[in-house]
Amino acid sequence: MTTGLTTTTARTSTDIAVIGWAQAAISRRTDQTETQMLMTSITDALTPLGLTRSDVDFTCLGSCDYITGQAFSFVANLDAIGAWPPKRDSHVEMDGAWALYEAWLRLHEGDIEIAVVTGSGRTSTGDPSLIYPMEMDPYVLAPLGADLVTFAALQARAVISAGLADEKAMAEVAVRSRGKGSVEELLAGEYVREPLRRHDLPPITDGAVAMVLATGERARQLVERPAYITGFDHRTECHNPAFRRLDDSPSTRIAAREAGLGTGAPIEVAELQASFTHEELLLRHVLELGDEVAVNPSGGALRANPIMATGLARIGYAADHVFAGGTRALAHATSGPCLQQNLICVLEGRS
Amino acid sequence: MTRFVESTITFPYKRSLGPVTGAFMTALADKRILGVRNGTDVLVPPMEWDPATGAELAADLVEVGPAGTVESWTWVPEPTEQHPLDRPFAFAFIRLDGAANPLLHALDAGSPAAVSAGMRVAPRWREERIGHITDIACFVPGVRSEVDGTDVGGPGQPVELMDYTAAITYSTPVLAMADHALAATREHRLIGLRCPTCDRVYVGGDRPYCPVDALELGADAEVELPNAGTITNFIVVEPVQYPGQTVTEQFARVFVLLDGTDVVLTYQPVIDLPVGDIHVGVRVSAVWAPRDTPVDTFSGIGRPMGSLLGWTPSGESDVHDPDLVNRIY
Ligand SMILES: [Zn+2]
Repeated sequence: MTTGLTTTTARTSTDIAVIGWAQAAISRRTDQTETQMLMTSITDALTPLGLTRSDVDFTCLGSCDYITGQAFSFVANLDAIGAWPPKRDSHVEMDGAWALYEAWLRLHEGDIEIAVVTGSGRTSTGDPSLIYPMEMDPYVLAPLGADLVTFAALQARAVISAGLADEKAMAEVAVRSRGKGSVEELLAGEYVREPLRRHDLPPITDGAVAMVLATGERARQLVERPAYITGFDHRTECHNPAFRRLDDSPSTRIAAREAGLGTGAPIEVAELQASFTHEELLLRHVLELGDEVAVNPSGGALRANPIMATGLARIGYAADHVFAGGTRALAHATSGPCLQQNLICVLEGRS
Repeated sequence: MTRFVESTITFPYKRSLGPVTGAFMTALADKRILGVRNGTDVLVPPMEWDPATGAELAADLVEVGPAGTVESWTWVPEPTEQHPLDRPFAFAFIRLDGAANPLLHALDAGSPAAVSAGMRVAPRWREERIGHITDIACFVPGVRSEVDGTDVGGPGQPVELMDYTAAITYSTPVLAMADHALAATREHRLIGLRCPTCDRVYVGGDRPYCPVDALELGADAEVELPNAGTITNFIVVEPVQYPGQTVTEQFARVFVLLDGTDVVLTYQPVIDLPVGDIHVGVRVSAVWAPRDTPVDTFSGIGRPMGSLLGWTPSGESDVHDPDLVNRIY
């Protein structure tokens, strides 16, 4: 019998690697359209590799119509990919990390060599506190305006009750991620949603991320040290947080196990899509990351949170660790309220 | 300075409820809260499938509450327009008596100091109920449920549909080229953009890109487009009713290939050309608003573009070319 939490293993035998990536317009509010941000990020990802758009065999774009405020907004984004002669192209209404997952599956078919994936969004376009409730359970949650920060606060309480976090430890995550402020200062602030203060919340960020993948031989021709994807899995839980244990993340645990965490070389860097401070503490616990693992050296989602691209950026920063000579890094992406759906990607370098 | 345009989009959804959620909503109108048995547990709201395993559940519905216990909560100091209460309140996970899991709802408690895990609460029902989660206006401290005024009752029949409406205001940047092309229409000019790489020409506007070369085209790519062309294809629209639809009469949109170019203008309105007379090959010329009239600056598929109101027959003889019909882009 198949249930939501069991499928076949996703460890990979074909070599597929991240060989480059770029970000564009990462800022509080840009005057660029999504198409312009994508145009820049795709060009900036391909150019250092000596590639052009005509070398790309498959593209997959991640974006969200609700955030853009336009039906089929991804069609206009195709202007950025150079889709002539006609290309193999796909779209996910999810963070670009899931676009990467689809491209990784597609490359496994073995008939193509290079894929580009993107994630893009302009969060500043609308009010996130009004948009996200529309994506909750349509019968019992959306009509209450049940917003993301409310759910995060309820999860923070559960994580605190379980002894995995306290408000001080959460403030420490904020200070470390943003590289500014002091814990005392932050804890003197007002609650936005008790027990969450302003510093526990992610910033509103516009931006796009583009990433280039290549299969084994081609990857080795193009770059000195490809970041091989050696494990990749994603799992989901019930859409309504009222049916879940919020002090745990079983989908993260299973995805990590299936991606090979717990076997092989130690993880050196973990880039976690923790948009709220307590999420980092919960994820560290579930993934059993010790102090020897550098968590979110990039500053994570607390420093820059371009919705629909934040997860893909985590994979980019993990790949950077490998490009720079690192051996093994883990990236995590999430979607839905209270870490509903979780993706784990393990990247490795070879000597 | 980039111009930003604000637009409010309303999302009016009408959802069918199915047998289980429908029964839950029907019971709410009757001031009762239902859960569904899942082994020894009762899940609230009732689900058609076990959230842990995905196994289908027999729709064995059972009443819970109406009182319950606060398991967890957070304070909302500044409610949004979507929230159930317009004053500060708590969002709480409330474990209704007899239920295995909490229900999220608003708790009207006055201040965060009045809320604690373990406190007992009960529903405050709306006067008139329609079979909707907001038939519970909110929960209030205590174990006795109450009605927010005079009890008017419910619809008196099973509830099968529910409405959900949200409105979001979006602020979107307008490209300089879009404004430039719009301004040109006030002078009765159509701007084109020629790609320096492939030589293709595109209509100037809010998508100033060569999608083939993935290039943005600027002022140096600008060319003039003619004001005359040929209808290559058309559609006749029968308006169907949906929220916001104001058109009632049949109308057409045509595709116009501009003379001497490879440019097709899509979904163009027609003027003085009855629907029955539209056919492939009709020669048309642009109809412009007088120079001093204000124009709609919101362009969109099928709408006039600035002062370009649409296209009207020029009186020339038809073009007979079997390939014309294929030119829709
Ligand atoms: Zn071109």
